[in-house]
Amino acid sequence: MAWVIARQHRLQLFGMAAIVAFAALATLVSSLPIRAAYHRHALSSCLPPTSRSGCDLIVSHFQSQFSVAGPLTRYFALVPALAALFVGAPLVAREFEHGTHRLAWTQSITRRRWLLSKTLVLTIATALTAAAIGALAMWWRQPFDALEGRMSPAAFDVEGIVVPAYAVCALAVGILAGVALRRTVPAMTVALAAFVLLRLGVEKLLRPHYLAPAHQTAAGIARPPVPREWVLDDELVTSTGRQISTSLQDQAIVHAQRAQIDAQQYMAALGWRRVVTYQPEERFWTFQAIEAGIFVVLALLALAGALWLVRRTPS
Amino acid sequence: MADTPLEAVGLAKRFRRGWALRDCTLTIPEHAIVGLAGPNGAGKSTLLGLAVGLLEPTAGSIAVLGNDPWRDAQTLSRVGYVPQDAPLYRSLTVAETLEFARVTNEQWDGDLASELLLRVRSEVKVATLTAGERARLSLSLALGKRPALLLLDEPFAKLDPLAGREFLGMLMDGVAATESTVVIASHVVADLERVCDHIVLLSDGAVRLQGNVDELLGTHRLLTGARRPLGTIHGVETVVRERHSGRQLTLLVRTNAPVLDPTWSVDEIRLDELLLAYMAPERLPTPRSPEPGRLRWHG
Repeated sequence: MAWVIARQHRLQLFGMAAIVAFAALATLVSSLPIRAAYHRHALSSCLPPTSRSGCDLIVSHFQSQFSVAGPLTRYFALVPALAALFVGAPLVAREFEHGTHRLAWTQSITRRRWLLSKTLVLTIATALTAAAIGALAMWWRQPFDALEGRMSPAAFDVEGIVVPAYAVCALAVGILAGVALRRTVPAMTVALAAFVLLRLGVEKLLRPHYLAPAHQTAAGIARPPVPREWVLDDELVTSTGRQISTSLQDQAIVHAQRAQIDAQQYMAALGWRRVVTYQPEERFWTFQAIEAGIFVVLALLALAGALWLVRRTPS
Repeated sequence: MADTPLEAVGLAKRFRRGWALRDCTLTIPEHAIVGLAGPNGAGKSTLLGLAVGLLEPTAGSIAVLGNDPWRDAQTLSRVGYVPQDAPLYRSLTVAETLEFARVTNEQWDGDLASELLLRVRSEVKVATLTAGERARLSLSLALGKRPALLLLDEPFAKLDPLAGREFLGMLMDGVAATESTVVIASHVVADLERVCDHIVLLSDGAVRLQGNVDELLGTHRLLTGARRPLGTIHGVETVVRERHSGRQLTLLVRTNAPVLDPTWSVDEIRLDELLLAYMAPERLPTPRSPEPGRLRWHG
C-alpha cells in the first residue's frame, strides 16, 4: 500500500527531497562566512554575553555584518509548512477534480483506511522534511543564538521540534480543507488562512503563558540585562508597583532636563523602577515541547475531522 | 448463496438541483446482462452511484448482494464498477495501476486482470494510453475483483467503433470468466442491444420499463390502420402511444394475446423504438391514475 501511495505522490516526495537538498546546500554555503566571522571577531570570549568592556562593540560588529542573513531564516522557516499545505490541500481535492475518487472509493478498502494510509505516508515524509529543515536552521543560527538566545520568535519558530509539528499540522489542515471543499485552489486558500490564524494565535496568545514569566527589576530607567531572553514586557513602575504612562515618563525627563539634573537619578529618586518581564532562555526545550504538542493535537483534530467527513461525503 | 445482485425499493436521491431519482423500484436478476437505458440526466449514473456506495439514498433502500452499499463497504469487494470516463491515476503506469487495485482489494485476481488486458504494455504510463486502452484498463480493474455484480457507466461514450468492439469482447470474456451479473448504463440503445438480455429504462428519475428484452419485444406490437374511434381490441392490454398521421392511426400496444383483428396490420417493434416510446413521459398512460375513458384498453 505504502509503495503505491508513494508512487502516486512521487512528485510531492521528490519535491520535499529537493527542498531538503537545497536547504542543506544553502545552509552550508551561507553559514561558512558567518562562522568565520564569528571566530574572527573572537565573539566566544564575550559569551555568554557580558557587559565586559568592548564586548558590546564586538557583538554589534558581528550583528551588523549579518543583519540581513538573520531574518532570512525566518522566511525559509515558512517553507516546510507551505509545502505541507500544497501537498495536503490537493490530496483529496484533486481526486474529486479528476474523478479518481470514484475509482478509489469503489475498491473494497474503506474510505477511511484509504485516507489514513495516504495521510500516514505523507505525514512521515512531511515530518522528516521539516525536521531536517528545523535541524539545519538550528545549526545555521548557532552563532546568532549564542548572542540573542533562542526564545524570541525569530529563533524559536524556525528551530527544533516545532518545525515538523507546524508542517504536520499544515498538512492535516490542508487535507481537511480538501475533503470539505473538494476543489484544490479554494482548499489551499482556506487552509493557508486557517493555518496562519492558528499559528499566529498560538504564538501571540498562548506561547507567552506556557510557564509563568520571570521578572527582573532595576532602579531608575536603566534596563536590567536580559540579552538572551524573550522579553514580553518592559515597563517603568512606581514604588507601589503602578505602571507609569509614557506621557508621564516624558514629563519627568523634561522636568529633569530643565532642572539640569540627571534624569536617571531623578527617576530613581522618585522610587521608579524598570521591570522586565521575560521568558528565560533555559526554557527553550520545554516551550518547544509544549508548542509542538499543541500543533500535533491540532493536526490530529483536523485529521479526525477529515476522516469523519470523508465517510459521509457523497460524490 | 443467492443474494439478489441488486434490488431497489422506493429508492430516491435528491441533489441540490433537484430529484435525480424518484421512487425507483427494480430488481436485477442473477446472471442477467442488463442494459440501463435512458436519456442524459435520467438518473442512470445516480442509480449506479447509489449501488456502489458513492451516494447515500435520500429515501427508500437499495440492496446490493444483500447488503447496504452506503453503510457496508465490504459489499464492494464483490462489486466491480467502471465509472463514467474511466477515471485513472494518470501518473501511474499500467502495472502500478494494477498494483493499486491489488492492495486496495482483499480479493484480487491479478492473473485474470492482466490476461484480459491484452496488448496494453504494463510499463506505459496511464496518461499516454488511448481512450480504448484506458477503458479496458478500467474494466480489468473491475473484473480483477471477480465481481458478482459488474456495473458500467457509459462505457462506450468515448470509444470509437473499433475500440468499442474490443471493449465489448473483453467484457464478454470477463463475464464468462467471472459469471457476474452485469449492468451497463448507456444512452445509446444500439450499444445495449448488442449484449443485453434485460432492459431497465429510466427517464426523469423514474423507472419507465423493465424486463427481459425478448419478452418485451414479444409483447409489444405496432398496430396500423385507418383512423377510427377507439374501442377495445382483442389481445391489447395497454396502449402505450397513439399517433395520427392523416387518416392513418398507429398504436404502440402491449399485448396479452395475439392481435388477430384483420382491420389492423400488426408489426413487430425494434428495441430502440420501444424505448423511445416509453421515454417520452407525456405520451405515457400513467398506470396508477389512468385518464378516464380514453386510454383504457383491455382486451
